[in-house]
Amino acid sequence: MSVIKVQNIRKTFGKTHAVDDVSFNVEKGRIFGLLGPNGAGKTTTIRMINHILTPDVGNIYINDVEVGPVTQKMIGYMPEERGLYKKMKVEEQLMYLTQLKGMAAKDARKAIHHWLERFEAADWLKKEISELSKGMSQKIQFIATIAHNPDIYIFDEPFSGLDPINSELLKEVIIELKEMGKTILFSTHRMEQVEQMCDDICLFNNGKAVLEGKLREVKASFGQNTINLEFEGDGAFLDKLTDVRINNRSTNFAEIRVLNGQNMQDILKLAIEHAEIHKFERVEPSLNEIFISTVGEDNIKNQEVQ
Amino acid sequence: MDFGKVLLVLKREYLTRVRAKSFILSTILTPIALLGVGALMVWLMTSETDTKKSVGVFDETGVLVERMIELNEERYSNVTAIPIDSVKAMVLREELDAYLLLQEKHIETNENAELIYSGSGGLAFTGSVRSDLREVIQEERLNRANVSNEIKELFERRPGLDSRKLSAEGETEDDKAGFLSALGFVLGLLIFIGLFGYGAILMRSVIEEKTNRIVEVITSSVKPMELLVGKVVGVCLLGFTQFAIWVVMYIGISIAAVPVAGLLMQDQLTELADSQEINQAAQEAGFDPSSLEVLSVDPMIFVYFFLFFILGFFMYAALFAAVGSAVDSEQDTQQFMPILMIPIMLGYFMNTRVMVDPDSSLSVFASIFPLTSPINMITRITVTDVPFWEILASLVALVVTFFGVMWLSAKIYRVGILMYGKKATWGDLLKWVKQG
Repeated sequence: MSVIKVQNIRKTFGKTHAVDDVSFNVEKGRIFGLLGPNGAGKTTTIRMINHILTPDVGNIYINDVEVGPVTQKMIGYMPEERGLYKKMKVEEQLMYLTQLKGMAAKDARKAIHHWLERFEAADWLKKEISELSKGMSQKIQFIATIAHNPDIYIFDEPFSGLDPINSELLKEVIIELKEMGKTILFSTHRMEQVEQMCDDICLFNNGKAVLEGKLREVKASFGQNTINLEFEGDGAFLDKLTDVRINNRSTNFAEIRVLNGQNMQDILKLAIEHAEIHKFERVEPSLNEIFISTVGEDNIKNQEVQ
Repeated sequence: MDFGKVLLVLKREYLTRVRAKSFILSTILTPIALLGVGALMVWLMTSETDTKKSVGVFDETGVLVERMIELNEERYSNVTAIPIDSVKAMVLREELDAYLLLQEKHIETNENAELIYSGSGGLAFTGSVRSDLREVIQEERLNRANVSNEIKELFERRPGLDSRKLSAEGETEDDKAGFLSALGFVLGLLIFIGLFGYGAILMRSVIEEKTNRIVEVITSSVKPMELLVGKVVGVCLLGFTQFAIWVVMYIGISIAAVPVAGLLMQDQLTELADSQEINQAAQEAGFDPSSLEVLSVDPMIFVYFFLFFILGFFMYAALFAAVGSAVDSEQDTQQFMPILMIPIMLGYFMNTRVMVDPDSSLSVFASIFPLTSPINMITRITVTDVPFWEILASLVALVVTFFGVMWLSAKIYRVGILMYGKKATWGDLLKWVKQG
């Protein structure tokens, strides 16, 4: 069942087509990754799903209800630009934000206490945000996002600016929520996070959704056209290869995407001649490679893909 | 609009502001500052001008100088015995501040005497010398005319003017013009302070939500309009709370002060009881025990005060919020401030004119024109009888303008609150309005 249906939405700011005829569905109980470089239209799309902006054209349905104040309550949203009231006490702040999402005061208090304990932050109830460290206030921000126990969670670039401990904690929470049958959508421009966590993906570039589907199927459809090569010795021979694209190159590792049906055995022979080979593996391409080959190197909006 | 959410926003806005140290401080300090300014103005207006100036009187008539010295020993001295050139030299050397040449013709004809000074004269100084001289010359003229004492006494009396107002019931009331003018001005001033002060609080609050980046979380739960209305009403209630505290403080102090003041007056009255001058003194001071009744005020004035404060505040608050949403920090507000400052300041400057001349066409205009009417109408209502249709026209104009401003501001606000890290221009604002 699709809990989020995005149908042919467009959003224009002045002359910029921020989102240009985008459609995708998010299935219940899965983790959906919205990928693409900065400025590809991810945040605008997310804001429209959250009914913060309205699309110029097209429709969005949450649990088959057109987006509006009702659907806002079904979603927990953590924006990329995170923030809290600095001069407000943790408990009051969480109570306010949770009640705004439509939770009754009594339930809200119970939920807040539960999550504060889960994050080992129960002592902070009466503290003002300005007294907390950055990492601590990030935890409060998670709680503000999830305390009203919605079915759907949307995180915009959730890992940017998080310290490693909170980054792990957030991953744990996301997995935990998935196990509870919740649906999660998050956006990122960091492909490796998606590889680790997402069930489904949608690739954005220049305001368009260029590729959508289950992560496994997307990768499989590209075939095992990539070589992971580990070697010792002079890597200069890699430069002699033609009809390949080399990603992730380092002194003793290279991810080689084979183009135009180039014979992989020839690459192996060349490699053996020049270096000691530790590993030669045929694999599916990385998401990064998929992204590049889908939109073409020249069409990538910002050169920020990693 | 979801009023449950509006109420939540309102509650948060009100509670966090009312508990803030700045609110408690301003509640205590504002009346003290106002009293201080008031006391300073009274002091400036009543304090004696510098009387230390010395004036040499060169009296050729021989009859005036003694009386001048009688009037003010410290100021006047007799220099008739010194040659006039030496007197001039003394003035130049600043041993004297000025000298006065008096001749027979000044008594017998209407020719003006001359006061010759070096350095600075000063209007207050020449004025007081003029009045001293008038008194002395008039006395001498009466003496020469050989009139009876009764007539002399008649001249000494100064006729006064009491004013009474004719009301519809055909009775005359005590005239409260002085008190009502002051009250009207103060009420207008309070609305001015309120519009400005609470408007600025609201603007800061909008900017704070933007710079804290909390606003995107909030708008994922609440419509911008609900947020805006909740905040405006919350700050408005904050204003009411502060006014209410001041009213309670005022009443409390009055209740405590009246017996004390009564006691003090009693003492003074008994001291003066034997003196024949008491009546005259009281009259000259303009004090009449019954004048305390003047302090009672038509309660409708306060109803209008709240009405104009609420409507005026809502209108300006919408503008302040729009400005707050368009900027990223308080420093950036400067380019948009004139649109708020000019009309409010205009209302403030106009207020003195309205108090002095409440029925002039300028005052009528200022009290109906919606951008100045919150300040100027309350002053007019207090000072004069404003025809009901004018009050109605003023209220209608205010309400209509409020909706117009709110519509415009909401559009700017809705887009502005999500524009981070960028200072909007006037062109951007126009674009945002069109976009909505």
